[in-house]
Amino acid sequence: MFRIIRKSLKTGKVTGQYPAPTQPQPEVSDTVREKASVLGRSLTIREVDTGSCNGCEMEMNALMNPVYDAERFGIHIAASPRHADALVVTGPVTVNMERALKDVYAATPDPKLVIALGDCACDCGMFKGSYAVTGPVERHIPVDVKIAGCPPRPSEILGALRKVQGR
Amino acid sequence: MVDINEAVRSIQATFGTKIRSADRVREIPVVTAAKQDIPAIASHIHRASDLRGTLSLQWAVDLRPRQAAYRLYYLFTLGRGTWLILMTELSGEDRLFPSITPRIHAAKWYEREIRDMFGLIAEGHPDLRRLVRHEHWPKGTHPLKKDFSWNHLMGRQDGEYHFRQIEGEGVFEVPVGPIHAGIIEPGHFRFSVAGEPIMQLEVRHFWKHRGVEKLFENLMWSEGVALAERVSGDTSFGHSLCYCQAVEALIGVEVPSRAEYLRTFFLELERLHNHIGDVGAICNDAAYALALAHCGRMKERIMQINDSLTGSRFLRGVNVVGGTSVDLSLDGVTMIEHTLKEIQEDFSDLARILFHNASLTDRLETTGVLKERTARDHGVMGVVGRASSIDRDVRRDHPFAAYGHLTFKVPIYRYGDVRARLRVRIDEVHETIGLILQALENLPAGPISTAMSSAPRPGDWALSAVEGWRGEILYFVMAGEEGKVHRCKVRDPSFVIWPAIQFAVLGNIIPDFPLINKSFNLSYAGTDL
Ligand code: SF4
Repeated sequence: MFRIIRKSLKTGKVTGQYPAPTQPQPEVSDTVREKASVLGRSLTIREVDTGSCNGCEMEMNALMNPVYDAERFGIHIAASPRHADALVVTGPVTVNMERALKDVYAATPDPKLVIALGDCACDCGMFKGSYAVTGPVERHIPVDVKIAGCPPRPSEILGALRKVQGR
Repeated sequence: MVDINEAVRSIQATFGTKIRSADRVREIPVVTAAKQDIPAIASHIHRASDLRGTLSLQWAVDLRPRQAAYRLYYLFTLGRGTWLILMTELSGEDRLFPSITPRIHAAKWYEREIRDMFGLIAEGHPDLRRLVRHEHWPKGTHPLKKDFSWNHLMGRQDGEYHFRQIEGEGVFEVPVGPIHAGIIEPGHFRFSVAGEPIMQLEVRHFWKHRGVEKLFENLMWSEGVALAERVSGDTSFGHSLCYCQAVEALIGVEVPSRAEYLRTFFLELERLHNHIGDVGAICNDAAYALALAHCGRMKERIMQINDSLTGSRFLRGVNVVGGTSVDLSLDGVTMIEHTLKEIQEDFSDLARILFHNASLTDRLETTGVLKERTARDHGVMGVVGRASSIDRDVRRDHPFAAYGHLTFKVPIYRYGDVRARLRVRIDEVHETIGLILQALENLPAGPISTAMSSAPRPGDWALSAVEGWRGEILYFVMAGEEGKVHRCKVRDPSFVIWPAIQFAVLGNIIPDFPLINKSFNLSYAGTDL
């Protein structure tokens, strides 16, 4: 017990210790902000991977670590699309994941925001044209916000999510 | 160590004229035989007491347009790290080859993969369901055949995958996935349970199949590095290094020694942040969130270092064919040495907390045991293998980059449970920090890359291995016409280890599955390609 407390005291506060984003923030239109306004201060996200290289996943996971601590802004990760306000989709949509993506979208309650995360989700990135890829996310479901980058840094993702929240 | 000349002689002595030829390609012996003799020879290599070969990779190449034939390669690792390749050819319209799966378990997925990608059928294979191609892919779609275009527009058909079923009173099935409850990659797990314990697990993957190997064939060999970095994002550096090494061997480029040390340094940095992250995540799946918070913070610190040194948190863009594109400044070296010592102390504090926690230990011990025998039969290596007594590590057995000049220990544990896998990682964190400090201390001066001069001869090939943080990554690159890649076989260790997890979970309860799965922490993207 003492060991644990000592460790915590020694560590101190690490939240916010990251360099400011250098990339330009993605566009968030007024309609999207309007759509998100009913959610108030919270934003519950379901992350859907439709064929990413897992780089984007790792950065989404990083958002939840104590350094970025997205929870302090009311951003949560939901275990089911039924509990989600927004879907964050990563990766080009593979032929094998196309159905699953559509099912998830159908299962998400309104006003389902869709955020395409990473170059792959925005325009298929390096996998554009492959026989196994059916196109970017917006070919299958309407996309509200696109966050470019391969992968975008957590600070950039966080900035974009905050913008969706209207802050 | 197995003497390779001795091994080849013994195979020739046993099989006589059945061995058509025994050549060397860049030191690797390649034994050629007719297809009908392959199962007997492969089985001999696998079983003979003086050889004891593990099947490390099996793959096919479509030789068209140069030759209307398919070639099948079987890579065996004898002893710890001696390679031997068995090869056969199917010419003309021949689409059948005898399966070795009934004798060598590790071939199971490879042969299913070859069937899906090339339409070559392994006769006598006990399980010829589709693997990569999900049931909705139209019949006759075999992407790696040369007459299949990379941007082919795929149709859709109806079909259903038949899971293995257990029937009986009180047995029911629990389907999980492809989309899971956390931020994880997609995959499908089908459990059969009676009461609490798992009686059977079937893993159904390849949801993320993006056609990586076909995309390689579209690229010039110098462009493949960026794609290799995107095979499995968390192993960006390991994969790009393995690809670069294969291409460098092909074109005969000598990498400057500073670059060899830098590559070692970056590869260990990648191992470090992944291992630390895994330690936290494993504990978190046993409901010990404190570890996740501390490890998440340390991992983040290292990734920020990656970013400040290279401009990429994933070390992308660092490897180039012929060396590296990023150098370290003297200030950089001092900063890293200082930070790593801090992280080591930080991490040791945490490890002490973990080992003193009895309830955590209770969850980890005896959970998800992968027996040594099962691990051997599947050809498992890497972190998971080392937790089940498989004493293999490419860095020691097949030294690449600067590993031949550095000293480190390879931790081995016997129990094969979640705790053993956690301990391997914890030990390796310390070894890794030691390796980084050694590499920095001995960092030679000089250039960081060599210009490429010659182009590889079409049809020439090279094989390379890298010990990524999960385990042995293998790349086979065959040169094509006009500087293109004719074939690039990518093998992430995950492809080998996934089937083994089906055995490690038996008798455990479903709520422990996430914990077991996390302790393996395999890549879905690297498997699905
Ligand atoms: S955008 Fe980049 S990091 Fe994200 S999934 Fe695609 S290749 Fe991976």
